[in-house]
Amino acid sequence: MTDLSTDDLALAGEYVLGTLDAATRSAVAARIDREPSFAAEVTLWETRLDPLNDALAPVAPPAAAWRGLEARLFPEARRLSPWRWIAAAGALSTATLAAVLWFGAPLATVPGPLWVSDMVSEDGTVRLAALYDEARGEMRVSVGGAPASEGRDFELWLIAGEAAPISLGVMPDAGQAAMPIPEELRPLMLNATLAITDEPSGGAPGGVATGPVVALAALRRI
Amino acid sequence: MSTQAADLAHLLARVALRDRAAFKALYEAASPKLFAICLRLLKDRREAEDALQEVFVKIWHGADRFAPDLASPAAWLNTVTRNHAIDRLRALKAGSYTLDAAEQVADPGPDPEATAITSSEGRRIEGCMDGLMPERAEAVRLAYVEGESYLELSERYSVPLNTMRSWLRRSLIQLRNCLSP
Repeated sequence: MTDLSTDDLALAGEYVLGTLDAATRSAVAARIDREPSFAAEVTLWETRLDPLNDALAPVAPPAAAWRGLEARLFPEARRLSPWRWIAAAGALSTATLAAVLWFGAPLATVPGPLWVSDMVSEDGTVRLAALYDEARGEMRVSVGGAPASEGRDFELWLIAGEAAPISLGVMPDAGQAAMPIPEELRPLMLNATLAITDEPSGGAPGGVATGPVVALAALRRI
Repeated sequence: MSTQAADLAHLLARVALRDRAAFKALYEAASPKLFAICLRLLKDRREAEDALQEVFVKIWHGADRFAPDLASPAAWLNTVTRNHAIDRLRALKAGSYTLDAAEQVADPGPDPEATAITSSEGRRIEGCMDGLMPERAEAVRLAYVEGESYLELSERYSVPLNTMRSWLRRSLIQLRNCLSP
């Protein structure tokens, strides 16, 4: 049995029915939070009226709804890149800014020679700044601008001389990444060119670039 | 508990433990019904898609609030969805009207006809809805399923807003007496 007045029983019903205006709804919601007997009556109304939902035929939501939800709740899940994420960052347009963000300190304190590559697509919508620390054999990238389209990924390539491009990995949509450069590739990094191509989601199949080059720039010593 | 309800309850318990595979399975099982609720209430595909996402964010973070002894899992999911969609609907139309103080509702006592139906229909709401005047039963359905506000209902039935509210409040009390005599 409930100790609620008939007016309160009706109010709980109106809340579940959905007819109350915004202000009254939020006042009732506050009451639900602090008054267990009123909350219990609301729960009973939810069960009482629920069979009215049987009148609704299910409608499959578009696939994009799940993708959006997944991207929102588990942003890291969609990335196949082995790169380790340290921090999210906004759009960056210069390698120098990337260097500051990376080291969080004046560049003078960095021990080894540094190389930068500032890649910007022709229309300016895709930007990637790469900073290579020769002494540590480590590269840091900052990604900004428009992400790859749905079902596509941007992939980063190392182009040294006349040799075929070597994949350095799939790019994140935005943010910063630190990636160790394998020992055998380190000599190739000096005076090399970095390029971004547009590839199927997960990267170019078989490690061979298939998509158009979005942007490229030489690694310059700074 | 039906097989479907047991499955949903199991998935909700797994989601409360942050099991992503269970969350995906729950989405696949429940989203068509919940999307239908959003669509019907909000009457806009884009709004309904946004609402569905918000609802599943709430489910991901709030699955531990599902209490199997108080509600069926489907009713709980429907409620989370309805509450979000109705809040959104009322926010979209905010300022269009505000309710005056509600008229006092006298408890009419059990309706003999409705009570008779209750015993034969096993306390189902459909039986009790049949005990209401047809126009009032229709107004209850329009409010619940279509998300019509008191203002919209009062215009539809050409009665003052407060009269509409009194109708529905009396109908609710009558339904309550029928469902829980």
